[in-house]
Amino acid sequence: MNSVIRAISAGVLALTVGSSWAAEKVTLGVSIPAATHSFTAGIVWWANKAKADLEKANPGLKVIVKTAANAPEQANQLQDLLTVNKINTLVIFPFESASLTKPVAQVKGKGVYVTVVDRGLTDTSAQDAYVAGDNTAFGKLPAEYLAKAMGGKGNIVALRGIPTTLDNERYDAFTSVMKQHPGIKILDAKYGNWNRDDAFKVTQDYLTRFKQIDAVWAADDDMAVGVLKAIDQAKRKDIKVVFGGAGAKGAIKTLMDGSDPRIQANVSYSPKFMYDAIKLTAEARLAGKKLPANTIIPSVLITKQNAKDFYFPDSPF
Amino acid sequence: MSLSVRFSGVCKDFGPVRVLHGVDFALEPGRVYGLLGENGAGKSTLMKILSGYEAASEGEIQIDGESRRFASSREAEGAGVVLIHQEFNLAEHLTIAQNIFLGHEQKRGWLLDDAGMRRAATEHLAAVGLAADADTPVRRLIVAEKQLVEIAKALSRKARLLIMDEPTATLTPGETERLFALIGKLKADGVTIIYISHKLDEVERITDEVVVMRDGRFVAREATASLTRSQMANLMVGRDVSDMFPDKAPPPPDAPAALTVQGLAVPGWVDDLSFEVQAGEIYGFAGLVGAGRTEAFEAIVGLRERSAGRIALAGRELALSNPRMAMKHGLTYLSEDRKGKGLHVNLGLTENLTLMTLERYAQPWLSHTAEHAALKQAVEGFGIRTGDLAARARMLSGGNQQKLALAKFLHPDPRVIVLDEPTRGVDVGAKRDIYFLIQRLAAEGRAVIVISSELIELIGLCHRVAVLRAGRLQAVLTAEHLTEEELIAHATGTH
Amino acid sequence: MPPVPTEALPAWRHLLSRLSGIGPLLGLVALCIAGTLLNPDFATVDNLLNVLTRTAFIGIIAVGMTFVIMSGGIDLSVGSMAALIAGCMIMFMNHLGASGSAVLAVSAGIVLALVLGSAFGAVHGVLITKGRIEPFIVTLGTLGIFRAYLTYLADGGALTLDGALSDLYSPVYYGSVLGIPIPVWVFAAVALAGGLLLNRTAFGRHVQAIGSNEQVARYAAIRVDFVKLATYSLLGLCVGIATLLYVPRLGSASPTTGLLWELEAIAAVVVGGTALKGGEGRIFGTVIGAILLSVISNILNLTSIISVYLNAAVQGVVIIIVAFMQRGR
Repeated sequence: MNSVIRAISAGVLALTVGSSWAAEKVTLGVSIPAATHSFTAGIVWWANKAKADLEKANPGLKVIVKTAANAPEQANQLQDLLTVNKINTLVIFPFESASLTKPVAQVKGKGVYVTVVDRGLTDTSAQDAYVAGDNTAFGKLPAEYLAKAMGGKGNIVALRGIPTTLDNERYDAFTSVMKQHPGIKILDAKYGNWNRDDAFKVTQDYLTRFKQIDAVWAADDDMAVGVLKAIDQAKRKDIKVVFGGAGAKGAIKTLMDGSDPRIQANVSYSPKFMYDAIKLTAEARLAGKKLPANTIIPSVLITKQNAKDFYFPDSPF
Repeated sequence: MSLSVRFSGVCKDFGPVRVLHGVDFALEPGRVYGLLGENGAGKSTLMKILSGYEAASEGEIQIDGESRRFASSREAEGAGVVLIHQEFNLAEHLTIAQNIFLGHEQKRGWLLDDAGMRRAATEHLAAVGLAADADTPVRRLIVAEKQLVEIAKALSRKARLLIMDEPTATLTPGETERLFALIGKLKADGVTIIYISHKLDEVERITDEVVVMRDGRFVAREATASLTRSQMANLMVGRDVSDMFPDKAPPPPDAPAALTVQGLAVPGWVDDLSFEVQAGEIYGFAGLVGAGRTEAFEAIVGLRERSAGRIALAGRELALSNPRMAMKHGLTYLSEDRKGKGLHVNLGLTENLTLMTLERYAQPWLSHTAEHAALKQAVEGFGIRTGDLAARARMLSGGNQQKLALAKFLHPDPRVIVLDEPTRGVDVGAKRDIYFLIQRLAAEGRAVIVISSELIELIGLCHRVAVLRAGRLQAVLTAEHLTEEELIAHATGTH
Repeated sequence: MPPVPTEALPAWRHLLSRLSGIGPLLGLVALCIAGTLLNPDFATVDNLLNVLTRTAFIGIIAVGMTFVIMSGGIDLSVGSMAALIAGCMIMFMNHLGASGSAVLAVSAGIVLALVLGSAFGAVHGVLITKGRIEPFIVTLGTLGIFRAYLTYLADGGALTLDGALSDLYSPVYYGSVLGIPIPVWVFAAVALAGGLLLNRTAFGRHVQAIGSNEQVARYAAIRVDFVKLATYSLLGLCVGIATLLYVPRLGSASPTTGLLWELEAIAAVVVGGTALKGGEGRIFGTVIGAILLSVISNILNLTSIISVYLNAAVQGVVIIIVAFMQRGR
């Protein structure tokens, strides 16, 4: 992480000056996962919004958005983008790191400028720039918040997403903070697959198994929905805090309205970084410049005070 | 080249049931043996043990004086013992050449030697007299040709003992003649042949000796020439089968028409077929395989598309569009393909019997007791031999399966019943039972239509016989004109 | 074969065929004992009711699936179908609820679920019988279509039931009668009706006959196309019932709703002893199979002896063991 910047607002751009590359027409391909759950739906929505905004502002720019249902399909799309759409710039949110490294390297080999979003490639020489959310903060901030809210002691159960490096980063960050608070015990952490139904079932079983739970780290706003329903059904009053994550609009709304006392904070991991990545890349290319090698869009703690800054009612996420 | 066999004390148990009880006999090399016995006599089981498909529970088999126990058919084939099943063992989608070498593919290095196999297959086909290209997919062949492919396959395995299970069951007379010529040639080449058949006239013609089995035991081995057909039948059944056929009792001349068909056409099969069957009549249909007899009746009951034709049951014209409608109007059709179209071999006897008429037992819930009672009645009425009423249909012998199938298609109480090859693969005793049953049905005033490739059967049973050739009606012969020569002449177009 | 003494033994034969079907039940009992030993909380009434309640969706669908598989068919689309029905229900109820009575909106939504399910099933049936397309392909196609359409309706996010409607509707999932949650009652009723339909009606027998050998059934004057179409409709209806129980649980539908339900339902049917190639099967076995599958994950959640990474492996092993116990019939 060479530079950590705040790049939420459109005007703030930290660019290193690149070679004297002639700014001509930019054809920018965007390759992202299809909208199969609300987070990726947000990615798709923000990508399309970036296309609309940027093409309107820059007549010399053409943005092509492609969605793929799995890694092989995404690899095929890369070839299509290159040969059919003749792109000279690519912004890609890879399905998987390992299996897409080679295909992306090939695209880069043809002289295309490549920005990789969220999931880093295994060989960083296959990319020109990397823009990502902050998974460490995604685990660290809730841990710090919960430790404080619980006064340094009590029982926590956690949910995990789908077994991936991204999930591991978050969970490792969470546990490393908790190690500093010996009074807090993580009773168990099981996979809820970032899915409401699975989170509901896992929570039901946690409630059967543990008689005293003070807080739940749901680690995702979708999973938090299932967690809350399961707690309501069991009529358990011992759980004081449920911490979701990612700042989905429903969760932010609850936070703003204060409609559920168990929801007091959230952590941002907005699919809006897709918008930022496209915008940063496009503007840099139009100006004939390069992006820094690593750009981290930080995750921040959202509370009732700053919640309205993170509320995007038009986005599906 | 030839090979001799000796069975000593061979027993076979299927679970608690013993089906072979210490079989002892020997076969000399280079002769043609007829193996006779009713269905369930144990001939097929014994042959499966000999050819490695089953293992004997006790006893031993000596081949050329050496005790052998084949663990698989492949091992038996290695020793020159090849069994040709009644239901062929051919992969329908593969070519003739691929079938002949299936499991014994010739290779050149790592790769298949297709050209070599095609060449060898062509030689074998020439040897069996089949004029077909070795690259023809087997599904395009007719039954008789498939039979020849099976024999060619056996030749390619260098068979020294060839076992044929009912090889002529589906062949026309002409095809049968060609098969017999081939058997003669194989014998001349020194191949020992075991020929299993229910057709005693064939056994009489082509075998040197007959071996008779009954109830899992060896009964007799005699020179064929020393026995008459009725003696053979008596040995098989263990009692005197003096007359196979009941007396013919034709319907009264003024009996009403039960089924009238006019101008029936089935695309690709039948052209302009018209006939009328009276109530109480047994009406035969003769013709070669592929003459369109089966297809005509499948079209009449609505299983197959008709392009023209009017059908009337008891004088009432109907547009029969499916078998259910035909059944409701008193017409049922029992297919020649017992296991593929006639019975659910994996279901129980009751389920098979009542399948067509379930609404009779459902008011609205099925009454298992009523169904059970119906089965008991059918078992008695049709003489179905089974130890266990809860058995599945596949556990019955061929003859008993056929009786169950008859019971099933008679259960809706049809006024017209079409029986396609009703005695195929059925032993002598069961055949006789079925002939008498057909006579009884006619006597009750039903019209019975019998499609058969066994001319003796048509001649012995029917009041009238229609002969089809290539989808066209050639002649309708009345009882007094029914002879084998007449029927063959019309069926082959040499009249 | 020589005749075995007549006056057969249908009684013990019957018992034997029953016994051969208890493989899954033995597996379930063994699992329950293991669960109790690992965590005594497993055997509490609350936990068992939780398990039964969450089994209800898959279980109800699996009952319908039993008919389809028995007849020699398959339906891969049920999970997506449930998601789409849930989405349509929610939009429809929100729409009605905004202008009129909430009770009316909820009841209309329930009716819509049943109608949509049967209609989707009937469409499958028509494509398979009249269109002569393999069921695998037809339902693989609709699997994509249903889910994509829901994703489109939900804009990729979640469709959520309005608060007032949600409160009114939620007792359908969370409520109890005589201490037993409503979904469990419905599951029991569907299973009972399914068993009766399969074993004691002409329709059930025809389904079995078609699966055992379609040709023979056709020759035996059974309306094969009609019966097949009915099995797919019946399955669709079951999906509708499952969905109307599902919606009040979370009050929402998203593109992940019902994900992989088809595999769970098919696994429940097959683990329960129904032959995937058709012709043989039992509703009772299916019910046991469905419960067994959710008990496995319940036990895994209640214990921490196995790495969470291996959860799927444990399920796989148990499924294979149970299938092994009821093989060879």
